[in-house]
Amino acid sequence: MPEQPPHDSEGAVAGTGMGGAMDLAASEATTLERAPGGPEGPGGPEGPGGREDAEGAGPAAGRPRSLWSDAWRDLRRNPVFLVSALVILFLVVIAAWPSLIASGNPLTCDLARAQDGPAPGHPFGFDGQGCDVYTRTVYGARASVTVGVCATLGVALLGSVLGGLAGFFGGTWDGFLSRITDIFFAIPVVLGGLVLLSVVTSNTVWPVVGFIVLLGWPQISRIARGSVITAKQHDYVQAARALGASNSRILLRHIAPNAVAPVIVVATIALGTYIALEATLSYLGVGLKPPSVSWGIDISAASPYIRNAPHALLWPAGALAITVLAFIMLGDAVRDALDPKLR
Amino acid sequence: MLLEVRDLRVEFRTREGVAHAVNGVTYQVDAGETLAVLGESGSGKSVTAQAVMGILDMPPGRITGGEILFRGQDLLKLKEDERRRIRGAEMAMIFQDALSALNPVLTVGDQLAEMFVVHRGTSRKDARARAVELMDRVRIPAAAQRVRDYPHQFSGGMRQRIMIAMALALEPALVIADEPTTALDVTVQAQVMDLLAELRREYRMGLVLITHDLGVVADVADRIAVMYAGRIVESAPVHDLYKAPAHPYTRGLLDSIPRLDLKGRELYAIKGLPPSLTRIPPGCAFHPRCPMARDVCRTDPPPLYEVDQRRGSACHFWRECLDG
Amino acid sequence: MGRYVVRRLLQMIPVFIGATLLIFLMVNVMGDPVAGLCGERQCDPATAAQLKREFGLDKPLWQQYATYMGNVFAGNFGTAFNGQPVTELMASAFPVTIRLTIVAVLFEIVIGIVLGVVTGLRRGRPVDTSVLVMTLVVISVPTFVTGLLLQLLFGVKWGWIKPSVSPAAAFGELIVPGLVLASVSLAYVTRLTRTSIAENRRSDYVRTAVAKGLPRHRVVTRHLLRNSLIPVVTFIGTDIGALMGGAIVTERIFNIHGVGYQLYQGILRQNTQTVVGFVTVLVLVFLVANLLVDLLYAVLDPRIRYA
Repeated sequence: MPEQPPHDSEGAVAGTGMGGAMDLAASEATTLERAPGGPEGPGGPEGPGGREDAEGAGPAAGRPRSLWSDAWRDLRRNPVFLVSALVILFLVVIAAWPSLIASGNPLTCDLARAQDGPAPGHPFGFDGQGCDVYTRTVYGARASVTVGVCATLGVALLGSVLGGLAGFFGGTWDGFLSRITDIFFAIPVVLGGLVLLSVVTSNTVWPVVGFIVLLGWPQISRIARGSVITAKQHDYVQAARALGASNSRILLRHIAPNAVAPVIVVATIALGTYIALEATLSYLGVGLKPPSVSWGIDISAASPYIRNAPHALLWPAGALAITVLAFIMLGDAVRDALDPKLR
Repeated sequence: MLLEVRDLRVEFRTREGVAHAVNGVTYQVDAGETLAVLGESGSGKSVTAQAVMGILDMPPGRITGGEILFRGQDLLKLKEDERRRIRGAEMAMIFQDALSALNPVLTVGDQLAEMFVVHRGTSRKDARARAVELMDRVRIPAAAQRVRDYPHQFSGGMRQRIMIAMALALEPALVIADEPTTALDVTVQAQVMDLLAELRREYRMGLVLITHDLGVVADVADRIAVMYAGRIVESAPVHDLYKAPAHPYTRGLLDSIPRLDLKGRELYAIKGLPPSLTRIPPGCAFHPRCPMARDVCRTDPPPLYEVDQRRGSACHFWRECLDG
Repeated sequence: MGRYVVRRLLQMIPVFIGATLLIFLMVNVMGDPVAGLCGERQCDPATAAQLKREFGLDKPLWQQYATYMGNVFAGNFGTAFNGQPVTELMASAFPVTIRLTIVAVLFEIVIGIVLGVVTGLRRGRPVDTSVLVMTLVVISVPTFVTGLLLQLLFGVKWGWIKPSVSPAAAFGELIVPGLVLASVSLAYVTRLTRTSIAENRRSDYVRTAVAKGLPRHRVVTRHLLRNSLIPVVTFIGTDIGALMGGAIVTERIFNIHGVGYQLYQGILRQNTQTVVGFVTVLVLVFLVANLLVDLLYAVLDPRIRYA
């Protein structure tokens, strides 16, 4: 590793201003960097119960299995994975077709029924403006899922390309990119969002997505860089290079498949945190703005009435929490499945 | 008898099933005697030692049977606190890799002095002085200065000397050394081994030397116990065993040592691999790899036959083996 | 060690310049810095032009930035929307936020580490599993939701605390807000400690400590904790900067007049000087905290100190 400060790579130590959740994502990934077929390889340095039985019990399995098919076999039997995947599937479906389960219009409100509790046909009651909380909660999924998915795609693409290239080619560019990521890490995310988005008047999800990509890519780029550097040092990559394979071939055929696991795990967990970030920004009044329908907006609008109509706050808040939880749990499960140290 | 292990059985619960690491091991060590326990990795020699010390990870490990008698007292029946008082003070262990076995954030002096503070209630100052003495004993140059250094500041050989000093600190009656020289450079190995042997004589300790290196054994050990797949397959005084092994596995091990007088010939190797501990073959565990295996070996597990008074072999055909 | 400190200090400089420049650009390019100066009304063009000249806003951006930074290092952060110097706002706001951060860090240390140690030592048992699930839930619920919920429960339903904090913001009033601010990091500290303890528990030197016949509490406190807490302590250190920057949400919920409150006001009124000034100080705090953590790391781990 060219001129890296001694513990830049100590995952947990590098604080990021993104708060604990993002650090969780990052540290989950750094344990994976060493993983796929790494120097310590499957079988691990020390199995449970000392070095002897780890070796004795290990090499019994006959046919070769790939990391991914192994992980998939594990995941199919993991209830946490199945539940969170189902929740996410459900969310995506109602984000695309909210009218499937909510017949009303989220923008039709009746001030006369403001702050009312549950009524027939309106299971979640009404909010401060007399809008149906159930309908608005269902329709709110769309904003969250759109922001989450688009921002994650953007961050993952930009981050892994920049980080991957920097890690692969090293040198000046790598040093430059590392300094740039340091700069972005030094800016507190919510503050940056407030400053940048407070002047935007557009009422679509795109400014929010753009902002998240702008401040989120360094995270992924650092992870991608680390895992590419690890993958680059593997013997088979050196062998491919010695046999005269071109850079692009080495990068695409040998390095990318091995470096992609940490990026996928972080991206999944990050998706959850981006949804939370969008809601936070909307709560502060700079993310999405009414008449957009978003959980953050609804929670923000319901907070003044918290004394009389807590239900208007609790339902969207619950939906938000479950969504974020589902993505984080999914990422966690995938990580466990991909981590050979645990098998 | 100082230490007597009787029919010890240890298993591990793993994802792949139950691993039978130790399957009825029996051995004895007398005061002042050196027993070498020989075997490949996975043969259960370290697990047995950890069970004797009482430092086995439980779970996943589990002792399913047997006795460990130390001065006639069954250690497995003691309470944890009574057991703890014996550890370190009356029996001590030397580990293979001193770099990872020493605490990286404490000075070696602190780690040595700790023995006296905890077991003897010595004052910190006196304990520190004893630590310097100990480092002198194991011939670490400039001990008075180096006592304040951290493990990573020492060379591999020096670190292993500190490990030895720590084990001998309270002059225990029994020391278990688990591959004490494997992690060292060849040139340093002999020095460390000589030091260990010399201190053992001086303190008249019983020593259990765990190793996979037959070369180390010949000079140091009084008796040898050869382990395979969690069992003792042969147990004999060193010279008898070297002269004529009574088990085909031992013979294989001896034949696979490179020898100068046989230079140019192809080196003998035992065919096949040691068995998975989750699926130990029925009958004699060694039969799939044994050149002398017959039908009875596939079905009947051999007991430890008495070859003579001081010698045992777990082979149905030990007589043939002994005759070569 | 000395060279190490100097190198870290030098590395801080470009990061500081880059981060403040980025914020400066965001504020100036995106917003109209003059708009906030005429009170609630729209400025007329003549006044606007005059104001621009007065503040040097007609000069190129890099020059504006250089002038601004020059002033900052002379201790002049400019004027806030209500005519007060920004430094005065800082003097009233930072002590409040610092108190809030101290409360939050204490929660992280006490609850986070204790839970982490307990679960790390009982890995796989019911305590461990339930704490682990709880931490994931806490991490998943955004801070503003946690804050509103605790406010609803403690402040409104049970009446244990006042729902909003008085301007004095004494430590006693900041306990619940501090817990809210700490919540996500708290959960993370728990997980980090747990992983670290569980990993080190299987390490060779802990096995050596047991083989030395040390009593269990001594093995845990002297050998296991000392090593396991190194990454935790460093995380908490870096988290200080993030906490102060993230306090804006908590301060809004509990109506605390700290840094976040002033920043929020500055943004609402488009007062560039307030926003850039506060963010500059926060970035500085973040960088200094990171530097201290690096040094602390070297103090705690002799392998780095003597490298």
